[in-house]
Formats: sequence, C-alpha cells, structure tokens
Amino acid sequence: MANFFEQIFKEKKLAYAIFDHDLILSERSRNFAQTIQSSSIDPRSPIWDIFPELIGSEDQVYEVLYNRQKKYELEKINKYSESGKLHYYQLTLLNLKDTSYVPKLLCVVADTTAETSLEQAIRQQKYEIELLQASLSSYGQYSSNSILGESKRIQEVREIVGKIARIRNTTVLLQGESGTGKNLIARAIHQTSMLPKTPFVEINCASIPSTLLESEIFGYEKGAFTNALMSKKGLLEEADGGTLFLDEIGELSLSLQAKFLTFLETKTFRRLGSTHEKSVNIRVIAATNKDLKEAVGNNEFRQDLFFRIDVVTLKLPPLRELENDVIIIANHFIHLFAYDFRKKVKGLTNNAKSKLLNYSWPGNVRELRNVIERAVIFAEGDKIDANDIILTEEKGIDEPSHRFTLPDNGLSLFEIEKNLLLDALAKANGNQSRAARLLGLTLDTFRYRIKKYHLNL
Amino acid sequence: MDKQIKISKKICMLGTFGVGKTSLVRRFVYDKFDEKYLSTIGVQISQKQLPPMKNSSAGRTERLNLILWDLAQIEKFNNVIKNYFRGSQGAIIVFDVTRLKTFKETDVLLKSYLEMNPKSKLVFVGNKTDLVKSSELDLEQFLRLSESYQTSYFLTSAKTGKNVGQLFTHIGKLLLEAD
Repeated sequence: MANFFEQIFKEKKLAYAIFDHDLILSERSRNFAQTIQSSSIDPRSPIWDIFPELIGSEDQVYEVLYNRQKKYELEKINKYSESGKLHYYQLTLLNLKDTSYVPKLLCVVADTTAETSLEQAIRQQKYEIELLQASLSSYGQYSSNSILGESKRIQEVREIVGKIARIRNTTVLLQGESGTGKNLIARAIHQTSMLPKTPFVEINCASIPSTLLESEIFGYEKGAFTNALMSKKGLLEEADGGTLFLDEIGELSLSLQAKFLTFLETKTFRRLGSTHEKSVNIRVIAATNKDLKEAVGNNEFRQDLFFRIDVVTLKLPPLRELENDVIIIANHFIHLFAYDFRKKVKGLTNNAKSKLLNYSWPGNVRELRNVIERAVIFAEGDKIDANDIILTEEKGIDEPSHRFTLPDNGLSLFEIEKNLLLDALAKANGNQSRAARLLGLTLDTFRYRIKKYHLNL
Repeated sequence: MDKQIKISKKICMLGTFGVGKTSLVRRFVYDKFDEKYLSTIGVQISQKQLPPMKNSSAGRTERLNLILWDLAQIEKFNNVIKNYFRGSQGAIIVFDVTRLKTFKETDVLLKSYLEMNPKSKLVFVGNKTDLVKSSELDLEQFLRLSESYQTSYFLTSAKTGKNVGQLFTHIGKLLLEAD
C-alpha cells in the first residue's frame, strides 16, 4: 500500500514528510529530498532546518500542529538544484490525525516548476520590455538634473545643452574658469544626445606629455616606436559611436593641433606607424579655461582649428555669478557628504548661507565642494554654521595684492566708498545682492550704505 | 568565556521589479553578480550568518542568522503575500537610483507590510549606484523617506559590491538592538 501511495505522489510531482509533536522529522517519501532540491537530509532534522522558510511563521506552524488552523501554505518557493537549475515548489502544512492522539504535522511539497516557469517566462518578457523603455526614457535625465541651480544663467546653460543635444555631430567648445563644471556639462551633452551605453571618452590634454598624447589619441601599430610591442587603439577609436571629450584643448602642441584639425575635417586618421586610414563617427567636445582668441593672437593656438571648434560655444558662468544657486549646490553637497560620513547634517544656518553668498569662489564649484566636505566633517549639529566654513581667500586677505596704500596727499574715504558702491552696482547690472557680494557685504549692510550716501537708485 | 547565542531573523527584500533585490542578496550571500536579469517569481529564501556581534543590552555575544526573503514584484496583495510577510522582523526596501518611478511604486506595498509587521525595522536602499555619478544622485527622496520612517538609507551597487555588506550588517545590528 505504501508503495502505491509513493507511486501516486511521484506521478503527481508531490512529496511528503511527517514531523512529530516536537517538529522533528519522523517519516518522508522517497522523493522528498529530491523534490525540495536537498542533497541530504538528516533523518532527525527539526522542521526549521529543512524549511527555513517557516522561520518567522512559528505561530502558524503550531496552530496547524494543534489543529487550531486547518492548513498553512507557502507558494512558489524558489530552490536551485545542484546543477544550478531553478525549481519551484509549494509547501502545505496539515495536521495529521492518527490513532495515537499525539499531534503530528504533515508537510506536502508540490513541485510546480513547469507551470511557474511558464509564468516566469511571461513576466520576464514583460519586465525586460518595461526596463528597456524606462532606461531609454530616463537616459540623460540624470545628466540634465545634475546641472543644479535655478538662476537665469543656469537655466540658459540647460537650455543650450538641450539644443546642442539635438544635433549629434556638431563640435562643441566649452569655455569657463577652472571648476565651473565643464566635465559635467560634457557628460550631460553626451548623455542627452547619445543612446545608452555609447562611449564617453575623456582626456585632459594638459595631464599627458605632448609626445605621448599623439599616440593616446590616434593609437599606434606594433613597431611604430621603440616600445610599441603591440598595436593599440587610440581614443578616437575607443570613442567611435560616442563622444570624445578633450579637456584643456588649449594645451595641445601646435603639431598635434594640425593633426587633430585634419581629423575634424575628414573624420579619418591614421594610427602611428600605419598607412591605413581609419574613419570613426564621433562627436568632439573640447573645453578650455583659456581665452583661445588670445591664444590665437599669441600664436599658441591655430586659428583654423579655433574656427573649426568654435561652432557652438557654451560659456559656463563662474559660481560667483550664480546668485542663490550657491546655496542650492551647497545643499546638494551637504546631502552627499552627510551620507558618505554618516552625519546628520541637513542644511546651513542663515549665517553660513550669508558667508557662502558673500564669497567670490575663485575655485568655483570644485572649491565649494571641498569647503562643504570639510564643513560636514567638522559640523557638530544638524546644520552647518558660519564657523564650520573655512574659505581659502580668508587666509590670503592680508596678502600685498589686497592691500590698499594711502596716497601721500591723502584721499576722501567718503568719495571712495560711494564710488565703490556705484561701481559694484554697475558691474552687477543693478542687482543689489550681487553688488553686495562683490564688496563682501551682506545685503542689509549694502542697503544701509546706499541709504547713508543718499544714492537714489 | 563569553556565551554565544545563535538567533535567526527573517528579513523581507521589498521593491518593484528590476531594482536589484536578488542581486543584492546574491552579492551578500555568495559574493557573485550576474549581468543577466532574471525576474523572480514567488520567493527565494537565502541564509547567511553574520559575524558574532556584542549585544550590550543583553550582555552577551550573538550570532545572527539572516533569513533573507527575496520577494518578487508584488502585483496584488492577497493571502499568499500575507504569508510571505508574516513574522518578518526587518525589511530592506530597494529602489533603483536610475528609475525615479521605483520610489513611488513602493509606497502601497510598504504600508501593507507595516500593517502586518508594525515593529519591523526598515532600511531604504538606492541600488545601481554604479550607473550614475555620485554628483548626479538625487538624495532628496531618500532623505524624505528616511526622515518620515525615522530610519537610515544606503546607496549600494550589487554589481561592484559597494556598501552591500554594510547594509546587511546594519540591519542585523538594528534587529539585535530591538531584541
């Protein structure tokens, strides 16, 4: 009779095990271990070792054991076989009544691999499509989001990035002081204009000696020079189908400028030591903190290359011109560093905000990032205070270049102060907050002085 | 000598499809990562024992065995799901930092989970950080969530393993402290 049941269980892809009132294994079908994908089962194992999925459901298990609950079921339990194949089973717990009146627990395991695998395949297809759609629609979203700020200047930058992104093959020139985020903008342009997973290859022309830069950009063939033991792809080939970002292009040597110009015009090049021409499809984004027009005038930069890369030029504003964006960007860095350092810093006190707004930020966003990193480390409370903010230029305030020497015949402090206020307003196009910052004053102090000198604006 | 106690705790991995729940568990338990996406159906249960931890309030060293319930995307809350959630003492709620939508989709699920397990410890996780630069991460959502649920959040990459060990150790500590 037992064999008969075993046969039926096997055919129906079922297996069973019986646990005594202490929930220790007492009996099982021959196919039990195989059905739950277990290589070996200790004959006196507690139920929790065989079915760790029941940990946390102890109450339900005992309710069934003592017949206070009819059954307890867990569906679609995943188990990998030793060969790595995924199996699914359903576990049902039932109270087992027998003549001894000692409660026992019957565990029935049903192998549901066939039907669940089908469901898995359907869902897999559905989710893969949704994931692909999501990745296509959100691609670039993070990059444009990464241009932080609400000022007019930043909105203009975002707008131009959007326009540039629509035209894939135009060369773009990014100009701006060091630390204004040229690299970030280059990535934003790349991500908003290219398909996912297309390469973004960057090189800082100032960081590699001119002699090596040529082979880095154009690649070389085996034997092209003494140490060329094997052929190597250059960055142009690495960037094929995507973007090549040349940072500090103003540092390229004149001979390399000529070679690069040829590439830009023909989209073809030769590896060093090769006679074979290669062509690639890439967008070039160049960046510089130099005035390239001036470099052309000084014969440091080829005029023809300048005209070739000056098709679409995006001038990145320095941080000091971004008004309240300083606070927005600072808050972003606070969140980042608070997370990294596991600190509960959430924002800035009003004094700290005022200190940040009244600083000229010669190192731009890079400097702001460093200042905030340090401030988060040293902040005691949940807000960064002015004392936590150490600004680089504070140290240099007594340097000779900042000193004003009184002329021998004296001067009128009244007139100088008045003129400085007017100058600052003119430079800030009438924007009082910006003018106050140019003079290192708070807005209130600035307004007080305007009133003091009866400057009717 | 200090007595060591072995304790098992059930933790549910929650989140919408494709956020990397299975990958996080796989990285933590087996130190492996698979580029190919395989959607989970039902539940996959894995276990891993954490190194011994001192429970100062209980005055003993404890070895915590984490029973990780990696749950499939839950499309309908029913008795099957109730049984999955039952007895869970911790939940790791996973989002994909490249898909903002995944934040919104978890809200209802989390409420249902907390109705069944109101004392459960929670940790929020932004996974797939290898796909975005840190400066591009939008942390506002995590800050809001962790503040409203008074818990912490982690930014992880199952692919590189970044913060994965720290995440599970952290929830383990929370569970021991709660005992």
